[in-house]
Amino acid sequence: MVNIIVCIKQVFDPEAPASAYKIDAEAKRVILKGIPPVLSPFDENALEAALRIKDAHDSKVTVLSVGRNLSKAVLMKSLAVGADELLLLEDGAFEEMDSYATAFTLASAIGKLGGYDLILTGREAADTNAGTVGSGIAEILGIPSITIVRKVELDDGKVIAERVVSDGYEVIETPLPSLITVSNELGELRYATVKELVASRNKPIMTWNAQELGVEPPQVRQARLLSLFIPQKENRCEIVGGETAEEMGANLALKLRAAQIL
Amino acid sequence: MEYFLTEQQREIKNLTRTIAEEKILPVRAELDEKEEFPWEIMKILADTDLFGVYIPEEYGGLGGGLLDLCLVVEELSRVCSAVAVSYAASALGSFTLLEYGTEEQKRKYLLDISSGRKLAAFALTEATAGSDAGAIKTTATRTSDGYILNGTKQFITNGGEAEIYTIIALTAKERGARGASAFLVEKGTPGFSFGRKEKKLGIRASATRELVFEDCLVPEENIIGREGIGFIMTMKLLDRSRPGLGAQALGLAQGALEAAVDYARKRIQFGHPIIAQQAVQQMLADMATGVEAARALVYATARMIDSGAKNFTQESAMSKVFASDTAMKVTTDAMQIFGGVGYMRDYPIEKMFRDAKITQIYEGTNQVLRNAIAFELRKKKWVGD
Repeated sequence: MVNIIVCIKQVFDPEAPASAYKIDAEAKRVILKGIPPVLSPFDENALEAALRIKDAHDSKVTVLSVGRNLSKAVLMKSLAVGADELLLLEDGAFEEMDSYATAFTLASAIGKLGGYDLILTGREAADTNAGTVGSGIAEILGIPSITIVRKVELDDGKVIAERVVSDGYEVIETPLPSLITVSNELGELRYATVKELVASRNKPIMTWNAQELGVEPPQVRQARLLSLFIPQKENRCEIVGGETAEEMGANLALKLRAAQIL
Repeated sequence: MEYFLTEQQREIKNLTRTIAEEKILPVRAELDEKEEFPWEIMKILADTDLFGVYIPEEYGGLGGGLLDLCLVVEELSRVCSAVAVSYAASALGSFTLLEYGTEEQKRKYLLDISSGRKLAAFALTEATAGSDAGAIKTTATRTSDGYILNGTKQFITNGGEAEIYTIIALTAKERGARGASAFLVEKGTPGFSFGRKEKKLGIRASATRELVFEDCLVPEENIIGREGIGFIMTMKLLDRSRPGLGAQALGLAQGALEAAVDYARKRIQFGHPIIAQQAVQQMLADMATGVEAARALVYATARMIDSGAKNFTQESAMSKVFASDTAMKVTTDAMQIFGGVGYMRDYPIEKMFRDAKITQIYEGTNQVLRNAIAFELRKKKWVGD
């Protein structure tokens, strides 16, 4: 049986209108009004990757999430679509961690669970877009990782992944256990069926606090937020003139070059 | 309002809403414009068990009832009525089989219908038989090999797209409506073909076609029930299905109400959002009241039927008449609130307005249904009801 762990972050819906977000610059906090929490979209892609492996191979999929005041309703979606177990790491100490502390905490939990073959994460979270937790977990656990993947297949104890690069993709093979960060090109998370939605209410949800996990997240932050602001957008309109279409085109090209766009 | 839905019903409603918003909303205008049958959406509804919500578990369904079906139809119609009717027409095509079919027939066809692998359709209407459904001319002549069907059915929802058809035809022409019988006919049966796809005012993504039978041989075992009860089965079927049509109208009205409220909050005239105008407030209040009343009536009727009631002609007709009149009124008023832009195809209201009209016409015009309601009133004894 293939033992798969998928790390999922709960974020505020990135599809919410920009006007719903406000900033408290003093406290360096985002103030959210009426925006529902959702699974981070790239993490949904990672879960879909796990479920596709499960469709083809006898597998167990465990979903892992860390934070404080996690919405069970949101994370139960992962059980409904086909994950077997949900483990929530919930503790006041797990709030507002930086990427390193998050990776450290998740890696500790994965180490404690043990027996894993493949770890899947999204390529980055929809809120911070740092994209470092996945690689960080692999580093701490000392296993190989492949980032920004659009396709994952298992073959005889190896994982074969297609990694997205700017002009195509690379095919990379590693032995198990390994970690893969998944990109949106892999495909959307499937819908749960009505039967699965009802049945998911009886699937197990485990919760560990910092004490049960047996480690405290690092108190010293490796990354510090210096300031938080909403960028001011300025729109300016300039009409580029010229006698002929060719001349207008040339003038436009010169302007764009001067603005370092071309 | 709280309707005390079961856990499964809540999941059904939420799941359908999610699918409608994520998968139907982005394409509804294009589907309407191109008059394209929504196969991709039908596939998603099939993959998530939604085609089987009202079908017993032994035939692959979820074991719910008419209310479960109404919840799906309502949520689909809130976003697109054409998708809703394509889904609902498959249920309409399966009801007679579900109620009167033999075990063998049910095993053969219901698994495909409940899983959404195949769509179903129901065919009664003909050029000469609309409200006067007893005036059908399609015949089914018994031979040693089975029944030979001849005739043309008109305005059949899911015609050409469905695989399994319930056809009402006369086995005893001289007996008129009392000589009608119901048959299961599969797409691809020799002698069974389709006419052109109709060009409609609304619900354009749904398929409406003629079904043409020319010496079409249907095996004897495909008769549903027995000879001569086709018309009675049909009347019972329509009594059962009308709350579903009410749900379609209800969802449509809900969608139009939401759009009108959102627009009235945003549209600034005379320095204020138009929702601050009493004239607009009064309209919105009436719209919201009508929608909630329609919902209460549709759900209550569906529950009454699910509880095993025997006669529900009156309630079922009332739920369809009230919900569809509400949908027409609410979409008309929603367009009024939108003003000029509501008339433009860039906004969703004109589609809702076009989609609403058919709900007052099909599955019994509201006039013929009012006759049915009045007929029940004439028989009624007002004691101990």
